[in-house]
Amino acid sequence: MAVGERVFMARGIRKNTGARLFIQTVLARAYPRVIGQQREKSWVFFDIALPMIAVSSYVFVYRAIGAPDDYVGFVVMGGAMTAFWLNVLWSMSSQLYWEKETGNLGLYIMAPNSLMAILLGMALGGMLATTMRALVITVLGSWFFDVNFVVTSYFQLFAVFMLTMVALYGMGMMFASLFLLLSREAWHWSNLAQEPVYLASGFYFPIKSFNFWIAAGASIIPLTLGMDAMRQLVFETGPTLGFASVPLEIGVLTGLAVLFLVGARWLLRYMERLAIREGRITESRR
Amino acid sequence: MKQAIFTENLGRVYKLRGGKKEDPRELVALDGVNVEVAQGELFGLLGPNGAGKTTLIKILTTLLSPTTGRAEVAGFDVDRQPEQVRPRINMVSGGESSGYGLLTVRENLWMFAQFYGIPSKIANARIKEMLEIVGLGDRINTKSSDLSTGLRQKMNIVRGFLTDPDVLFLDEPTLGLDVGAARDVRKFIRAWMEESADRTLLLTTHYMVEADDLCDRVAIINGGKVLACDTPANLKHSLQRDALFRLEVSPLNGLSPEIFEAIPGVRKTVHRPRDGRSVLEFILEEENVLAAVMSSLTENDLTVMNLQKREPTLEDVFVELVGKSMSEVEHGGG
Amino acid sequence: MAASETIANAGRPVARFWHSFRTAAWLGWQIESNWTDLLVFAIYSIIKPLASSAILVVMYAIITGGNFESPVFPYIYLGNAFYQYVGAIMAGISWAVIEDREHYRTLKYIYVAPLNIPSYLLGRGIARFLTGTISVAVVVLTGVLFLKVPVDPALVNWPLFLVSLLIGVIMLAMMGLILAGITLLIANHVWFLGEGVAGALYLFSGAIFPLEVLPAWLRPVGFAMPITYWLELIRRSLVGQVAEAFPTLAGFSSGELLAILAGMTVLFGTASIFIFRRCDHLARERGMIDMTTNY
Repeated sequence: MAVGERVFMARGIRKNTGARLFIQTVLARAYPRVIGQQREKSWVFFDIALPMIAVSSYVFVYRAIGAPDDYVGFVVMGGAMTAFWLNVLWSMSSQLYWEKETGNLGLYIMAPNSLMAILLGMALGGMLATTMRALVITVLGSWFFDVNFVVTSYFQLFAVFMLTMVALYGMGMMFASLFLLLSREAWHWSNLAQEPVYLASGFYFPIKSFNFWIAAGASIIPLTLGMDAMRQLVFETGPTLGFASVPLEIGVLTGLAVLFLVGARWLLRYMERLAIREGRITESRR
Repeated sequence: MKQAIFTENLGRVYKLRGGKKEDPRELVALDGVNVEVAQGELFGLLGPNGAGKTTLIKILTTLLSPTTGRAEVAGFDVDRQPEQVRPRINMVSGGESSGYGLLTVRENLWMFAQFYGIPSKIANARIKEMLEIVGLGDRINTKSSDLSTGLRQKMNIVRGFLTDPDVLFLDEPTLGLDVGAARDVRKFIRAWMEESADRTLLLTTHYMVEADDLCDRVAIINGGKVLACDTPANLKHSLQRDALFRLEVSPLNGLSPEIFEAIPGVRKTVHRPRDGRSVLEFILEEENVLAAVMSSLTENDLTVMNLQKREPTLEDVFVELVGKSMSEVEHGGG
Repeated sequence: MAASETIANAGRPVARFWHSFRTAAWLGWQIESNWTDLLVFAIYSIIKPLASSAILVVMYAIITGGNFESPVFPYIYLGNAFYQYVGAIMAGISWAVIEDREHYRTLKYIYVAPLNIPSYLLGRGIARFLTGTISVAVVVLTGVLFLKVPVDPALVNWPLFLVSLLIGVIMLAMMGLILAGITLLIANHVWFLGEGVAGALYLFSGAIFPLEVLPAWLRPVGFAMPITYWLELIRRSLVGQVAEAFPTLAGFSSGELLAILAGMTVLFGTASIFIFRRCDHLARERGMIDMTTNY
């Protein structure tokens, strides 16, 4: 068929809107991530084996200074949870900067879908690698280092984990909206948010070790209370090292989840308008 | 007739980095632009690089807010009602690198179709058919990173048409394409427009031939301002009263072509060096003036090797309006 | 440099090496220093390394009750402080491949130009080395001022320190080049390869715990790492007696350690040339020099 001989483009093709469009967008944006990981499998080594080794370093530090066994478990748990924090930082928050660099951001904004759906798709797409990383670190770490888990309530554990994830990804969406305005600084802010968050959120030690106000302030990051509650629920000495009771932490996490999701929706819209006003959607300031 | 695109006194000013408070650096990209495009029209925006074409498109596609004025697309305000505008439009830019290299052509196009809510079955059928039409049918399962620039641009063009928008914006769509591919794209555009009367297309280009060939009406833009807006035929007819001649002469060797404009009856002279010769294009008030021009050439020891009388082109219209050719504007600014 | 000089240099390896290195160093610095906000840069250079050290400090303080007088503490603290060079240099060099290939899309033009590619990549790493130096200095200074790390400038063995540092930086650069070669062959999503490998080597290099803590079957890996000897030399030069409190390398004199480090640096340097060449060849064969893989 020669060009221009016949063009099949019937007018009025059906287009979904609302929730259906949202879901389509989420799945479509997740697709490149999932497929990319299938087609380029080097991440299996780099994204799992290397972090596993790095986590082990902290285990041996605790062993070198004679820490109780449960602290080894804290490191394994913290190491597993870094996967989610890094996914939020690099595969979601600062990802809009990369999309701008590659020319896709303008196309996403111009389409009738929602930026929240795009971000959720990115996060879900990276979830395979993230979850595998967390699982492998947990399973292998527990096995290598003989970590003893004593789960007091599976229901509460599940609730804590899910609420932490919802709140965390809501927070990630809020960050993403801020990153709409940034260019190269996006990379640096994401980089800056790694170690300070590991420290403040107590990835490798109980936050009860900090004074009350520091720990309370750090609780704005969902992983802080999430990990504190999980430590109390799965380690024998967990309850004695908890910052607040598990039910209270579940309550706060619920509040954070709602706050961040609502905040993300509002902030994404506001920042998108601001970025459009200032011409930041398509500029490329490398 | 319904208006698909409407702008009223549209302006956009960019604040440049490095400016001081007392001396802020600004760039006026658009200034008082008034454009009306009727539904069903193929409208061209013609101007050199830096004229403001892309800025205008960005505003109309809701990616940039205007600083002054307003714009409507498909009946909705682009600044206040972007959510209403977006389902009705699409855009393709020349030289764009959209999508993901690791995905195949089909996968990339499917993904973008999903963002517009097109069900997968319908999307895949349209993708297959449209790729056949543009000659990419056999590359449907090729990774887009493995495509050449020209084929990649064809894929991008399919992306734009795939969602069957009411208003489609093409920003230099044939940039970087070879002659054959560019011709295919123009055929495709024409066929798409002819198929339905309620489709509207706004095309920006700095290729005169493209604007002349495709567009129902053309707006000539330079320095952020629309200088003229009419059908290509009418724009060229405005110069019909003038006589246009193209002369190939021996090299000017430093002689300024502006000396010829001192001759009474010479409106404009444009000089282009080429292959060791000088090409001089004259816009004369009437044919008789040619004799004076020839005398002047002889007095300045210039040999005439070729002489042609021309029909006016859009390039001539541009020269008439701006005072310089498009390439002179791009090289020298303003 | 005029085009004629560039052409002349094409036939002179040393001149070409230096020209490539110098141009890349300038470019790397332009990129790194292109901060829109100096304050952010300052915060970044101070907060990030301090937070990383603070994690270890807090871990140590919780378990030992804040016993900073013990020789274990400066061992951990200084090892961690100088280990920042490992990430900075290795990541800086391998990251240049990703940046140039995926973000700036200039790698293909670099390849087409008459540049020595390995020296270009080494030059690009210089800026990260400089910012890494700032981070190391900040962390050491903080430790000395606030955490009783016993570094006394009057007692530091400066010649040993400077020589060790120099050889160590060269050694890390060679390792970075190996990673850069590997990076040529993999997709963008492994942009963190340099930092990832640095994180993994953390385990084996005796940076934050003596090798004796590792299971016996893992210790040989640590002894095969030049970083282990480098960190030991740095600690010895800075805190002398405190460093000798650990038995791991007590049987070696500083001179012997220097010789081992230098020898391993030569070995890694040689390996890096071969590995990079091989990876470079494969990348060209597979058409990967100008691929973009971001998703």
